[in-house]
Amino acid sequence: MVFSSLFFVFFFLAACFLCYYACRSIKAKNVVLVIFSLIFYAWGEPVWVSMLIFSAFVNWGASMLIGKYRGKKIGNFFAGAAIVIDLALLIVFKYSGFIVENINALLNVSIPVPQIVMPIGISFFTFQAVSYIMDCLWETVEPQKKFGRFLLYLSLFPQLVAGPIVRYSVIEKEIENRKATPVDISEGAMRAIIGLSKKVIIANNLYAVVEQFFGSDISGLSFLGTWYGVILYSLYVYFDFSGYSDIAIGLGRMFGFHFNENFNYPFICKTISEFWQRWHISLSSFFRDYLFYAPIFGRPRKYLNLFLVWFCTGLWHGASWNFILWGLYFGVFIFIETLIGKKRLKKWNKIWTHIYSKIIIIIGFGIFYFTDLSQLGQFFVNISGAGMIWHGQSFGDIVTYNSLMNNLFLIIFAIIVSLPVLPKIRYVFDEWGNNKVFAFGKVGGSLVCCALLVICSILMVDNTNNPFLYFRF
Amino acid sequence: MEKEKKKPERKKGFNYMKRRNVEYGFSVISLLIMAPVFIAITVFLVAIPRSEKSEIEKRNLAKVPEFTAESYFSGEYTAGLTEFYDDTVPDRDDFKNVGYNFKSLFGVHTEDEVKVVGHPINVVNKEDSKSSVKSKTSKETSSDKQESKTGKVEETTQSSESAKPEESKEPDEQSEEEPEYQVENGIIVVKQNGHYRALELFGGGTGNNYVNALNRFQQDLGDKVQIYSMIAPLASEYYTPDSYKDHTVNQKETFDSIAERLDDGIISVDIDTVLGQHTDEDIYLRTDHHWSPLGAYYAAQTFAQAAGVDFYDLGTFEKKDIDGFVGTMYAFTGDADIKNDPETFTYYVPDNNDKCTTYYYDTAFGYSGTGNFFNGIGDASNAYLTFMGGDEQIIKVKTNVQNGRKLVIVKDSYGNAIPGYLFKSFEEIYVVDMRYFDLNLVDFIEQNDVTDLLFAMVTYSAVGDNADNLENLRTQAKGKKIVDEALKEED
Repeated sequence: MVFSSLFFVFFFLAACFLCYYACRSIKAKNVVLVIFSLIFYAWGEPVWVSMLIFSAFVNWGASMLIGKYRGKKIGNFFAGAAIVIDLALLIVFKYSGFIVENINALLNVSIPVPQIVMPIGISFFTFQAVSYIMDCLWETVEPQKKFGRFLLYLSLFPQLVAGPIVRYSVIEKEIENRKATPVDISEGAMRAIIGLSKKVIIANNLYAVVEQFFGSDISGLSFLGTWYGVILYSLYVYFDFSGYSDIAIGLGRMFGFHFNENFNYPFICKTISEFWQRWHISLSSFFRDYLFYAPIFGRPRKYLNLFLVWFCTGLWHGASWNFILWGLYFGVFIFIETLIGKKRLKKWNKIWTHIYSKIIIIIGFGIFYFTDLSQLGQFFVNISGAGMIWHGQSFGDIVTYNSLMNNLFLIIFAIIVSLPVLPKIRYVFDEWGNNKVFAFGKVGGSLVCCALLVICSILMVDNTNNPFLYFRF
Repeated sequence: MEKEKKKPERKKGFNYMKRRNVEYGFSVISLLIMAPVFIAITVFLVAIPRSEKSEIEKRNLAKVPEFTAESYFSGEYTAGLTEFYDDTVPDRDDFKNVGYNFKSLFGVHTEDEVKVVGHPINVVNKEDSKSSVKSKTSKETSSDKQESKTGKVEETTQSSESAKPEESKEPDEQSEEEPEYQVENGIIVVKQNGHYRALELFGGGTGNNYVNALNRFQQDLGDKVQIYSMIAPLASEYYTPDSYKDHTVNQKETFDSIAERLDDGIISVDIDTVLGQHTDEDIYLRTDHHWSPLGAYYAAQTFAQAAGVDFYDLGTFEKKDIDGFVGTMYAFTGDADIKNDPETFTYYVPDNNDKCTTYYYDTAFGYSGTGNFFNGIGDASNAYLTFMGGDEQIIKVKTNVQNGRKLVIVKDSYGNAIPGYLFKSFEEIYVVDMRYFDLNLVDFIEQNDVTDLLFAMVTYSAVGDNADNLENLRTQAKGKKIVDEALKEED
């Protein structure tokens, strides 16, 4: 079930709200959420919902044993075993085809490539499980004694299939006791509607243009056409993914959960390191906490771990070389930035650091887009201007010009929304103004959200096929 | 609204308690504003009778899927339910129109604007596409030389071991003979003489499968039957603005290349040039992917001249109009300007229509009854159905002419508009769709004593996937006796 479908919003979610708010006790509310979460998952994965439950059971069981043998070495064993099982499931379902293909190519053998369809969201809930096990082992959280509650943590449908990767510690207390006040419900609803609008109004329409430029052979694209396509694609990924996170966070809040933020206006960054502190925060902090500081061969090794983190970040995004390349590409720039040093970077002219970081990030999204390596090569030829200089490609072209004119307001709007304009507006109403201004903002915001919801609903009528990009991972 | 700013220090004397109460109170008000909208949309979607058809997309909407264990575990059932719910929104088409109108706000609109949908590639600067056409052509010539005694062409790229005897090659494999081509090349919407027109650009292709199939028909049928090849260009041949000429392949060159490669016995009917002389008339529908009946008239006239049969002036036909027609290009482009600029669909009924009988058959030539060729199904939402009511059938028109000429038209939907102009030119006209014909066409032609065979279709069919099926028509279901049950009934 994708969030940006009428069925999800106006059937599944409506039914879920009805049942959830009809319940009084927290226990009943939790039961409702678990049932709806399992239905949500089974809707897309009628078979592999069993694996989700299995994974929850294994990790819950392991955490109980870790808790029981606190301070003893055998606790490490249980943690290790659970993580091995988690990663094994991930490898089998997500990477087996990729691994076999590469073995075949490398050793010139022909092992049949397993045709496994990856269960949606496996990358997300596996990482949640791993973080939970590690936290139990490091004693930063208490193991959850009740299986039902742990299942709720792992399967909670707002964040189940496309993040954010919520740490157990974040919602540990709220699983046991929480209250969704009118403030939470109202704020959560507005947040979810803004997320839906990001996806339906902006991302979907940007993607239609991206496909127009990158959907077929790109060797005929002009220099500007390639830049135009990849800039729109960067915006698209941001709106698609952050829109999803907004919906997840908003819905969570409507049920009384307070998830951590997953994005913080990544395009205003000045360095690549800063970009990753603002982009998919739950993933980068996962790798930072559980891999970067992990003792490899006895102790943390800065550069080896840096390489590992970025290799894994890339690989996590998909079983394809371009994703690995994408991760390492960022790793290289972060490595260079650490060599230069934060203090020296800060002294550099802001304009230049903005231009530098945006160019690196935008080209990075090109690497992210082209899973076909020959197409990726062509992308580099186009974007570097080499195609223009040596292969007679044109600088600009009429299609790019017309496409820009056809979508000018959409693109300008997208760029504005990708900058921290909304928080500034909110600041005026929430912090700067008096109570009257605040009340005006609240009512005005609600009306705007109503309008957005109606527009999204109308646009979703035409969206028979608009899966979220991040379902792939 | 991602991460919020650090809360600043408030002024002294700021009443936190009061603010909290205001926040609480106005959150309740906010919910009282938003919840009714959410509930109203939900009730609308759940309780109002659902749409069953989309006039815009010209299709029946999704149905509730059937529940079986298999469909459930494959995920088809749940996916089908979601699709049903999302697809059959009450008043779906109206909402789509509103949505498309909203999307038209995304862009800057000028008088000479060109709206782009899909992937128009530069076909002139793109060396690859040109050289690939050339190399495919030369490859074809060399493979022609390898034609075996049985008349089968083997791929030059295949190794000698894989060269199979004639019968072992399945019809499906024919499509592998020619690699896929980039035939779809996007759509542009342009404003010309105050009206919007959607144009499908043409990405090129060789038409090898078309040429091979027709040449083999010629070999099979010999002198008994005269074969004609008449390919209709897409409207982009004539109406593409200069700025986009580099993004659409010249179709005349493609047709000439096909004509050159066809056997001498096959007559190529050049309607590209003829239609080019009438571009200031409405020879193409602006909002649809078809030509107009008037365009088909000029084509039929050119064909009749080539076939040496009588042909009558348009003035002898009865002119009929369907107003307010918006064709398929609206659904393809989602362009509100197309929707808001409907056109008149004008068609022409011959004066001997009453004296002709149209027999309808299914795709295996099972007789289903007689009816009018201009059957009146066509309306403002689907005017092109005026001719025979669609494609998935075989029809026969028995006219009041007696000249011993019997014609088979093998066509795509472009061809549907042609037969009506030939009611005074042939004794019998069979209309066969290249995609929906289950018999062997050679047997069909021979057993019905057909004298003329016309291939009439649009560029995309001749150089695209549809052409793959022509060879199937020749080879499939060979040697069966074909019975015309309509004749039996008349006896």
